[in-house]
Amino acid sequence: MRTQSSRFGLNRRQFGLMAGAAGFAAGFSPGFVRSAFAQAAPDSAEIIAGKAPGLIVHNAELGVMETPLTMLRKFDHTPKDILFNRLHFPHKGDASWYATTAAPDQPDWSIRIDGLVERPRTVTLADLQAMDQVQRVAVMQCAGNGRSFYAAKEKVAGGQWKNGGMGNVVWEGVPLRQFLEDQKVVPAGGAHWLTAEGWDQPATPEGSDFAKSYELGDPGLDNAILALKMNGEPIPAVHGGPVRLIIPGFYGNMNVKFLTTLLYAADQSPSAFQSVGYRMPLGPVEPGQFEANDYTIYNSLPTYGHKIKSVIFSPLPDDGAKAGEVEITGVALNDGQAAITMVEVSADGGKTWMNADLKPAESPWAWYHWSSKATLASGSNVLMCRATDALGRTQPIDGLTRWNPRGYEWNGVDRVEITV
Amino acid sequence: MRPALVLLVLAAAAFFAPGARAADRFNLPQGPGRDLVYGHCQTCHDLQSVEDSAGIRRGAWDAVLDNMKGFGLRISEDQRAKILNYLGTYLGPNPPPAEQAAAAAGAGPVEGVSVFEATCIACHQAEGEGKPGEFPPFAGNSDLFLSPDFPAVVALNGIEGPIMVGGEAFDNAMPPFDFLSDEEIAAVVNYVRSQWGNDALKPADMPALDAAAVAKVREKPMSAADVHDLRKTLLP
Repeated sequence: MRTQSSRFGLNRRQFGLMAGAAGFAAGFSPGFVRSAFAQAAPDSAEIIAGKAPGLIVHNAELGVMETPLTMLRKFDHTPKDILFNRLHFPHKGDASWYATTAAPDQPDWSIRIDGLVERPRTVTLADLQAMDQVQRVAVMQCAGNGRSFYAAKEKVAGGQWKNGGMGNVVWEGVPLRQFLEDQKVVPAGGAHWLTAEGWDQPATPEGSDFAKSYELGDPGLDNAILALKMNGEPIPAVHGGPVRLIIPGFYGNMNVKFLTTLLYAADQSPSAFQSVGYRMPLGPVEPGQFEANDYTIYNSLPTYGHKIKSVIFSPLPDDGAKAGEVEITGVALNDGQAAITMVEVSADGGKTWMNADLKPAESPWAWYHWSSKATLASGSNVLMCRATDALGRTQPIDGLTRWNPRGYEWNGVDRVEITV
Repeated sequence: MRPALVLLVLAAAAFFAPGARAADRFNLPQGPGRDLVYGHCQTCHDLQSVEDSAGIRRGAWDAVLDNMKGFGLRISEDQRAKILNYLGTYLGPNPPPAEQAAAAAGAGPVEGVSVFEATCIACHQAEGEGKPGEFPPFAGNSDLFLSPDFPAVVALNGIEGPIMVGGEAFDNAMPPFDFLSDEEIAAVVNYVRSQWGNDALKPADMPALDAAAVAKVREKPMSAADVHDLRKTLLP
């Protein structure tokens, strides 16, 4: 398997480089495959080897699954078997090597640095492993996390994520900026963007390859790493090993899995995943006035840093909470640009608010734990929480004001109705 | 078979009961154009993406189809119009009652050419020429006549593994198309057997395939690997 997949890996990586320059994939197709063994509604553990059973499956073919909050709340660092997952192409055939939480068996992996540079370089996995490593504890969150809540205004297409498309993860790897400097690739004057590409390829030759581009001066890159480890072990294949670009504080899709290529370029990648998908309109839009095919690079921006957000972990409706005093707990997160300074909690649907007890976070990008005592009355109790950071950024009471046709970046005040 | 594929198949076999059918998982509402959705939308993702989006406006479906083009969907304008009409009607905000949808879907006799264009054309191509290395051609393919019902066995169960057709090697996996009705499979097999000069390959004593024969094949589900083995036993 090693020889075979390495060989394919090399082909794909060489190919990925060309595809990056051209922007679109052409020529390699893993084909039209769907497991002949699939049966009714496969469980998460059947879709990706090593995943816990009982995750909320959004798309089996693409290994898309969400963590129920009852599992997510048990851990400070989210373990690999329950961490949400999203792939962009079927994990079949030549791509089946990453349909597992086990470490990838890809010893010959390398990263190509190319494009508008004087000295293109290839750096091996062994080279990367020998470099100084740093740790980044950061929330990994799908840009679509919370999409289902937009349906209260108008439902948007795609997986109907609730709040479990996130996890708090420990990454370790090589700092990106130092790495690029040490490689002395000498970017040309016209280079403005850095495009990251992964090994994965679309299911059809006509499909757009997955690529993400960042402005070279983006301060988000200051903390980025070429991650080799997740939660203390080699990055599980399905989560993007052997090398994943981790930009702490950025939404999941910006953290390119199976990293093979870093390309300096004058423009951002024309990949549909950069130019049309995973973007937010520049201002408020209304259903029917701005559709999912109206996005351009001029009227929208990629989903960069996490919008400030808080989520109630307990009590949840099925926890069997009783009337009387209860402890409301949860987490809060943002893009790491400023500390979260306050989480307010309401147990009466927003009529009155109290400050929760907020614990310090492990890093600027990790989630914060908070808790607050409240009294539940017989009948319906609507619990709410709202985080605010040192820049004064807070969550909209009505998250629907940020409705968008792709349903990204939900950060409305979280609401949980508890009937006791 | 590639080692990676062997592992995949072994892993899959460990998880899933053989004979279980992929199409059972999804139950999109009946309506004209439904087969086009089954035939084209599962190349890159499964139909949960479609099911979970049920209820969005026609304009939103229109935008989804545009987006899917960027992600690799290749369909004719006519097919696009039919798919949009299906999605916008039967998976829109106000879908018609199920009986009405079923009646609309069942209107008119089943045409083999329609099934072919809705379902087979994406891989086997408009003139049945296939794609080198991936999808074998229908044109001049003697596999179509290996037995009276062999093409129905492949259509219902899929086939997976390396094969030689007309001196060319192919290695891929075809999924089961068991969402097609017995009538549709019979019609499309008869259509494919009569096109692109294939009638010249047809043994004189081989009758046209009928829906009853397809129903018999459907009663005996096989894995795609078993179909590959069956093919070996039928080869001259």
